[in-house]
Amino acid sequence: MLDKGGAERRRDRPHLRVAAETDGAETAERLLHRTALGEEDAFAGLYDLMSPRVYGLCLRVLRDPAQAEEVTQEVLIEVWRTATRFDQQRGTARAWVTTIAHRRAVDRVRSAQAAGDRERRAAAGAAEPEYDAVAEAAASRLEHRQVRRCLKTLTELQRRAVTLAYYGGHTYRQVATLLEAAVPTVKSRIRDGLIKLRDCLEAAR
Amino acid sequence: MNPEVHTLIGAYALDAVDEEDRRLVDRHLEECASCEQEAAELREAAARLADVTVAEPPSGLRERVLAEARRTRQEAPPDRGPDPEGPAARSAERLLRPRPLPRLRRALAAAALAVVIAFAGGAVTWAVMQQYGEAETSGSDRLAAVLEAEDAEVVTEDAPGGGRVTVVSSASLDRAVVMVSGLAGVGEDRAYQLWLVNDEGQVSAGVMEPGASSATMVVDGIAEADVMGVTEEPAGGSESPTLPMVAGVDMTA
Repeated sequence: MLDKGGAERRRDRPHLRVAAETDGAETAERLLHRTALGEEDAFAGLYDLMSPRVYGLCLRVLRDPAQAEEVTQEVLIEVWRTATRFDQQRGTARAWVTTIAHRRAVDRVRSAQAAGDRERRAAAGAAEPEYDAVAEAAASRLEHRQVRRCLKTLTELQRRAVTLAYYGGHTYRQVATLLEAAVPTVKSRIRDGLIKLRDCLEAAR
Repeated sequence: MNPEVHTLIGAYALDAVDEEDRRLVDRHLEECASCEQEAAELREAAARLADVTVAEPPSGLRERVLAEARRTRQEAPPDRGPDPEGPAARSAERLLRPRPLPRLRRALAAAALAVVIAFAGGAVTWAVMQQYGEAETSGSDRLAAVLEAEDAEVVTEDAPGGGRVTVVSSASLDRAVVMVSGLAGVGEDRAYQLWLVNDEGQVSAGVMEPGASSATMVVDGIAEADVMGVTEEPAGGSESPTLPMVAGVDMTA
C-alpha cells in the first residue's frame, strides 16, 4: 500500500494510484460520510482505520495506557456523534479526527494539570523526550519518513517548540518556560515551523 | 489583520493555547477568510505529526466503542440554509440595509450604527474573499442578532480616564455586544480586558488586542453578570482583574 510506483497498476481503483495517505484519506472520508448517515458498519470501518492513530496519539500525549484508552473511546464517540458536521471542503477526514483526538488528549492533560497532577514533573524540568525518540521507535513507513524528513527541515528551536507543544500537550507559554526562551519568540517559531512543515509535506505529495 | 493574534495561529493549530487565546484566534478567524484557510492548512500539517505515534489500541476497546455508538444519538447536521449566496453575503446585506433599531435610544443608536457600518465593510470583503465552506456563525451575524433582538438593552458608561464603554445586551440571546472606544492609550505590552462580574466574582469576557483602546466584542453567557468591567492588564490578559477598573457598566438596569 506504500508503493508510490503503483500508479500504472490498479487502474480499476484510481484512489490507489497516489501515495498511501491519499488512499487512506479518501477511504476515511467515504466512511465518515456514511457514518454521518448512521451506518454502523461504516463507523466500524472508520474505527479500524482511525483508532490506532487516535489511541497512539492519546498514548503519546497522556503516557498512561488506561487514560489513553478512555480518551480514545471519548474521541471515537465524538466522531460518531458529530460526523454530520464534518465538511470535506475544510479539510481531510484524517485531520478532522486527529484534531478531535489531540484536543481531547490535551484537555485531559490540562485538567490534570489544574488538579496539580503533572505539575511536579514540569517543575522538575522533565522536558518531553526529543521527537527522535518517538520517531526512531516508529516503523519506517512512507508517511513516517515524510514527517521525519520534513521535521528535519525546521530549525532546532522550531522543531523543539512544535514537538513539545504537540506531543507534550504544552501551551506555547509552557514551551517557552521549558526551552527557557521568550514567549513571543516561541509563539512565532511555532507558527514558522508549522508553515515549513506544511510546505514540506505538500511538496512531498 | 492583527499580527499579534495572527502569530497565534500556529500555536492554535497545535492546541497549544489557553482558552483565552483560543477565543481571540476564533474571533480573528471569523473575520479573515485567508487566515481561516491558513489555520486549516496548519491543522492538516499538525495532524500529520500523529503519523509517527500510531499504536494498536487494546483489543476490547472496539466492542465497547461500537456498543456505545449504538446507544448514542447523532447530532443533526448544521443548517446550511438554502441561500446560494451563503450566510456571509446575507449578513452583509442585512447589515447594510438601514433598519429601525427599536430599543436603541437615539444618541446611542448613532454610535452603534457607526460600528455596524464598519463591520459591514469587513463582512463584504470577507464574503468576497471566502473561498470555501461556510462559517457557522460569523462575528457580524452574531453582532447583528444582538442589535436586532427585541429585548436589546443599551447601557453606556464614560470611563473616568477618558473614552466610553457601551454594552448592548440581549437576555434572550444571553449575549452582549460591547463597544469600547477611545480609552486611554496603552503600550503594545498592555491590553484592556473585559470581565463579567457579579457577587460571586468575575470571569474574563475577552481581551482586546495589545495597545488597542477601541474594540467591538461579542460576549456570550451574560445571564449571571451584574457588571461588565474593563481593566488594564498585560498583553494577552490576566487570570484575575487588576484593580481599579477602568470602567464598569451596570447590566442590571
